[in-house]
Amino acid sequence: MRNISLIFKQITRSVLLVAGLALLGSSASAQDDAAKGETIFKAKCSACHKIDQRSTGPALGERMASETDDAYLVKWIQNSQALVAAGDKRAVAVFKEFNEVMMPPFADLAEADIKNIISYVRAEKAKAAAAPAAGDAAAPAETGPSGLLIWGLIGVIVIAFIVIIVLNKVIVTLERVVVKNKDLVLEEVEEQPEVDKLAGIKKALKNKKLVFFIVLCGIVALGSWSWVTMWNTNMHQGYQPVQPIKYSHELHAGAMKIDCQYCHTGAYKSKNASIPSLNVCMNCHKAVKTESPEIHKIYDALGYDPETAKYDESKAKPIQWVRVHNLPDFAYFNHSQHVVVGGIKCQQCHGPIQTMEEVYQYSPLTMKWCIQCHKRTEVNSKGNAYYDKVLATHDRIKKGEKPTAAALGGLDCAKCHY
Amino acid sequence: MDSNKKYWKGLEELNKTPEFVEKNKHEFAEPLPIEEVLSGAGLASKTPRRDFLKALGFGVGAVTLAACQKVPVHKSIPYLIKPEEVTPGVANYYTSTYNGHAILVKTREGRPIKIEGNPNDLLAGGGLSAQGQASVLDLYNSNRVKDPKINGGDAGWEQLDDFVIAQLTAIQAAGKGIRVITSTVHSPSTQAVIADFIAKYPATKHINYDAYSYSGIIRANQQSFGKAVIPHYNFDKADVIVSFAADFLGSWISGEEFTRQYVSNRGSKSLEEKKMSRHIQFESGMSVTGTNADNRFPIKLSEEGLALVALYNAISGTTLPGTKKLTSANADTAIVLAAKELLAAKGKALVVCGSNSVSKQVLVNAINSLLGSYGTTIDLDNPSNQYKGNDAEFVAFIEEAKRGEIGAALFLDANPAYDYFNRKDLKDALAKIKLKVSFSDQSDETASLCNVIAPNHHYLESWGDDNSIAGYYTVVQPTINPVYNTRQAEQSLLIWSGSTVQDYYTYVRNNWTTNLLALGGLSGEAGWESLLQTGFIKTTPATASAYAFAGDINTAAQNVITNSAALAAPEDKVEVQLYQSTGVGDGRYANNPWLQELPDAVSKVTWDNYAAIAPKYAEKLGLEEGDVVKIEANGYAVEVPVLFQPGQAQGTVSIAVGYGRTHAGMVGNGVGANVYPFSSFRGGTIHKALVASLSKTGDVSPLAQTQTHHSFEGRDVIRETTFKDYVKDPASGSGHGQHHKMYDLWENSKFEKPIHHWGMAIDLNACTGCGACIVACNVENNIPVVGKDEVRRRREMHWIRIDRYYSYANAGKKAEEVEENGTVTREKEIEKLDDLDNVTVVHQPMLCQHCDHAPCETVCPVLATVHSSEGLNQMAYNRCVGTRYCANNCPYKVRRFNWFNYWNDSRFDNYLQNEHTQLVLNPDVTTRFRGVMEKCSFCVQRIQAGKLKAKIEKRPLKDGDVKVACAQTCSANAIIFGDLNDPNSELSKALKSERTYYVLQELNVQPGIGYQVKVRNNIETELQA
Repeated sequence: MRNISLIFKQITRSVLLVAGLALLGSSASAQDDAAKGETIFKAKCSACHKIDQRSTGPALGERMASETDDAYLVKWIQNSQALVAAGDKRAVAVFKEFNEVMMPPFADLAEADIKNIISYVRAEKAKAAAAPAAGDAAAPAETGPSGLLIWGLIGVIVIAFIVIIVLNKVIVTLERVVVKNKDLVLEEVEEQPEVDKLAGIKKALKNKKLVFFIVLCGIVALGSWSWVTMWNTNMHQGYQPVQPIKYSHELHAGAMKIDCQYCHTGAYKSKNASIPSLNVCMNCHKAVKTESPEIHKIYDALGYDPETAKYDESKAKPIQWVRVHNLPDFAYFNHSQHVVVGGIKCQQCHGPIQTMEEVYQYSPLTMKWCIQCHKRTEVNSKGNAYYDKVLATHDRIKKGEKPTAAALGGLDCAKCHY
Repeated sequence: MDSNKKYWKGLEELNKTPEFVEKNKHEFAEPLPIEEVLSGAGLASKTPRRDFLKALGFGVGAVTLAACQKVPVHKSIPYLIKPEEVTPGVANYYTSTYNGHAILVKTREGRPIKIEGNPNDLLAGGGLSAQGQASVLDLYNSNRVKDPKINGGDAGWEQLDDFVIAQLTAIQAAGKGIRVITSTVHSPSTQAVIADFIAKYPATKHINYDAYSYSGIIRANQQSFGKAVIPHYNFDKADVIVSFAADFLGSWISGEEFTRQYVSNRGSKSLEEKKMSRHIQFESGMSVTGTNADNRFPIKLSEEGLALVALYNAISGTTLPGTKKLTSANADTAIVLAAKELLAAKGKALVVCGSNSVSKQVLVNAINSLLGSYGTTIDLDNPSNQYKGNDAEFVAFIEEAKRGEIGAALFLDANPAYDYFNRKDLKDALAKIKLKVSFSDQSDETASLCNVIAPNHHYLESWGDDNSIAGYYTVVQPTINPVYNTRQAEQSLLIWSGSTVQDYYTYVRNNWTTNLLALGGLSGEAGWESLLQTGFIKTTPATASAYAFAGDINTAAQNVITNSAALAAPEDKVEVQLYQSTGVGDGRYANNPWLQELPDAVSKVTWDNYAAIAPKYAEKLGLEEGDVVKIEANGYAVEVPVLFQPGQAQGTVSIAVGYGRTHAGMVGNGVGANVYPFSSFRGGTIHKALVASLSKTGDVSPLAQTQTHHSFEGRDVIRETTFKDYVKDPASGSGHGQHHKMYDLWENSKFEKPIHHWGMAIDLNACTGCGACIVACNVENNIPVVGKDEVRRRREMHWIRIDRYYSYANAGKKAEEVEENGTVTREKEIEKLDDLDNVTVVHQPMLCQHCDHAPCETVCPVLATVHSSEGLNQMAYNRCVGTRYCANNCPYKVRRFNWFNYWNDSRFDNYLQNEHTQLVLNPDVTTRFRGVMEKCSFCVQRIQAGKLKAKIEKRPLKDGDVKVACAQTCSANAIIFGDLNDPNSELSKALKSERTYYVLQELNVQPGIGYQVKVRNNIETELQA
């Protein structure tokens, strides 16, 4: 019996070993496939597809996991339009569901490549499915140590501070003791000038001229302070209101280097640079950062449901941005004149906008500021036939002067006030 | 100027009444109370120290508190999904149609803010009437019907449709009549819709009913030539025009089109070729057309017919039975002379008559036929569709309804409850009709008598088309989503007739695709899109052929003579003429404040209608100007103030229709009196002439008349010559060669205008005085409406005004003697009044002259008004502190002061600050605040926009890129705006004309606007006219 049981054990072991090895090998090969699939997926598919969310195209995880006919998937990926054209019911349904956006054919992908993609997607899907289950158990365990860590750190820092303070006290006391013991006279010498000082102040107070001088200084200081304050009344340089959506120019214009006119299209055509309408945001944010609560504010404003990718106009409500740059109504300003004709960079007036997490008013936007620039800036006349004749006449009249905006009538009242 | 002709704007100026002299001493009619304080007890009285301190303390405290408010947070709300074609801050233009004219609608961020004539418009060539300009405000009118109504209560559209369809079906089954009553429908698609409706309900009949109808002409043409149409008149082909009370430059048929045609024969270009038409006018009341005539003869209403008979006799060389002499020997001679002129210009002559009498029109047809006008100046083969109103049919409808034969009446753009003459009949008739539907978008007089109101869209919200004259098809497209819960009338009709196509847009498109696009050589989708871009198609016109007159001249003459006798007023009565004023017209636009405040082209009266009476006749009746008189006829009476109108025929009174609305809305209700009930139905048409009694009520109601508000103090500002002199010397009358001693404050400095130098030329010979420019300027520049009371105080805000000057037609021979004698004898005074019948008129548009040496600029203590490097006199509102020195120092009197904050003051509630009316404001122009001076800016926003466009496109600014609002809308092309630095610009060329002179050039203020001498092609006779 022992033998039998031993044999049985051995067999089981060997079987298990073989099975284990086989499994190991197969899983290794599956992992290998998935890795290849990932590369291809990221290169070719991720622009329009996500694993667990719908994007321009359907969420692939669900679809590929539930699909049993891999050959069908291969056909689909290689040329979906052919399927649609052939009148395949499922293909047509999906095509319609996604607003008849055509998926480009990928004839260059071999069947093996596509299978790799499929195995990658399925693996990812399986991971995602496992994650919540694991997450449930892991969550307390994870937050536990991290909370402990933070509290621990805080505790250490507090203790360190206390130690530093105590040590400091000790050092001070020790120093005093040392000083007392070493030289008592020194302390007395130190005390005497203190008495002198007070006497000096008293003496100074009796000097009427000095008092008058100090009072005068005070008045001048106060006066100039109120002058400056009043002078700057209604000037809002540095105005930085809180906006309904935490939109960061630093990220979009700075890190991502998106051109200003991608969103502020009006700056090149109109007097208003214009705040972009939400459809401009949706060009990217239909797919990018879809889970962010800030982006969800856009969805809410549009009445857009990211699950179904449908717009519900009845739920739409416009976003009320707070205007940062406010010119008074009686001043006319035209962006296109400055940006297109003048060729001025946005930053000249709006400051380092690409570094602003939250936009603030960089320039004072006072008339003085406008005038100064008009006086200094040479007109951008190169290659602009409008100015050819104008400059010729100008040269005839004023020789040697720079053709600044001011010299060409840029200081006329009716350039901005009408 | 070599002639010592005297010009005056009003009788008070001519007679130098003490009131006039007193008012003109001051720049502002009403002295400020500060003067009383300074001169009276104000300064002498003691103010205790404590009171002073209290007031000071409170003042400082209050001001500080008031200033301590937070800066408001401005929100910026972008589109959720921006329409592709909209860029905030950039205007879009759409083609559409207004009253048969192809137009361009300017929209900003999806709302229409200005209407302009389409430059390729066949009728007016880019011009547009005052009404057309003002029509955009009606879109935002807060008095519009906001929901469909059944029996006065709000109803849903479905409920209304069910109700109306059930009723119509029942009425059809009961065998009663259904009538669709419209003002003339000249839209092919609307006609088709009505035809479909008739097909569904065969008991239906369509009646065209116009408030001011031209039935007479249509019937006369039926009788004379067998064609029941209004012909197309070609004033540009006429060398001699004789008009009998036809106001063809104003309200008659197609005023803007005729203005363009008329001026093409008289403006600068024509004069350079030494060509000018001659225009003789016979009329009783002074019309815009009469003011432009070369010779104008006042004749009584009752003699209009006799004059026509006399003219026929003179031309044909026969004598019709019953011919009588006119009371005025002058006019009698004039008829003979006119006949001579007409015969000499055979084939290039045109006679028109404004009467609605069939017999008179038959007579006119006979005359035109003798003159060979058919096929040349009158075109019967390409008729006008503008007015097809059939008075007889409407009167028949009333009779049928009174007999209870009518079951349903549908009113589209027709308001007979206001403008039908027999109100009692109409009321009785409507009471017997079971289903009364009004499509009116405002709850007007007729709508208030209807049990169903299915409010129509404003035309700027509608789809549609138009065919105003044969071969000219225009398209109407919406430029805004409906402001209220309204539905296009055509769509309602389609639904009620159970049409397979229930969407009117689809209907219009189908109609164009199958019937109309091909006429313009277009087809399919591309054709439709191209139509929406160009706005119209035109077909090759049919060849205008000559027509032989086949009417019965003797019967017509007999009728004319009998009717004239009936119209002749006995000694104690007056002959009354009802006419349409330039602003309010037939009353449709009575609720438009811009039109109410537009001074009448002749009388310069705003916000009222009045009884225009010749001064001599008024003296005879013992009337003073402003006296309220009661005018009574046909059992109806109105009370209107008296206006002294030089040139009015003795024994006649003219009163404008279109006033006295009761259901027009906040603006139009109760303004003036309704005189439509004075009309009468005779010989198949409705007549607007009658005999009435006139009595004084004892009340006085001063008119808000602007004529003498901005006085030149008798300085010589008008230059005039005759065509004869002009041919001899083109510079005649221009005052060239006269030298004044010049003074100059700017001797040592010269201002350069290196880039542009904006200027303007105004041709006094082209300007007809219609006033479209005033409204265009109002719309473009956000000019507030101030109301009757403020106009009486001389506070109207118009940046451009049209000064209308009278002068004695006999070149001042007799009258000047009277003046120079100093003391005026009684006899001579009467003589002078005689002359007031024969006056000539010059219209002079007056606006800021943008003087290079501007007197206003030197007196401004805060430099709020200074000169620009482009020759503009700039006005910086935010700098102005309201000293008004500039207005005092302006010799042209073109500066306007904001006495109130018109945009936010409950006293001006009716005008431009209602729920939606501020949406019409031009966002590129600041609205001005109380205490600020303003004036014409030469539409600087348009100059800036034009320059910017050129700069962005990297090209030089072309002549014509910048068009100011007044020049743009002028059908007569009397105003030319441009760059003086460009020697090839239209403006530079125009100013080179020998006719050019500058108003008050002797002051050496160097104005930027050149005027061109008025030329009059009058008959050289011994006549007093």
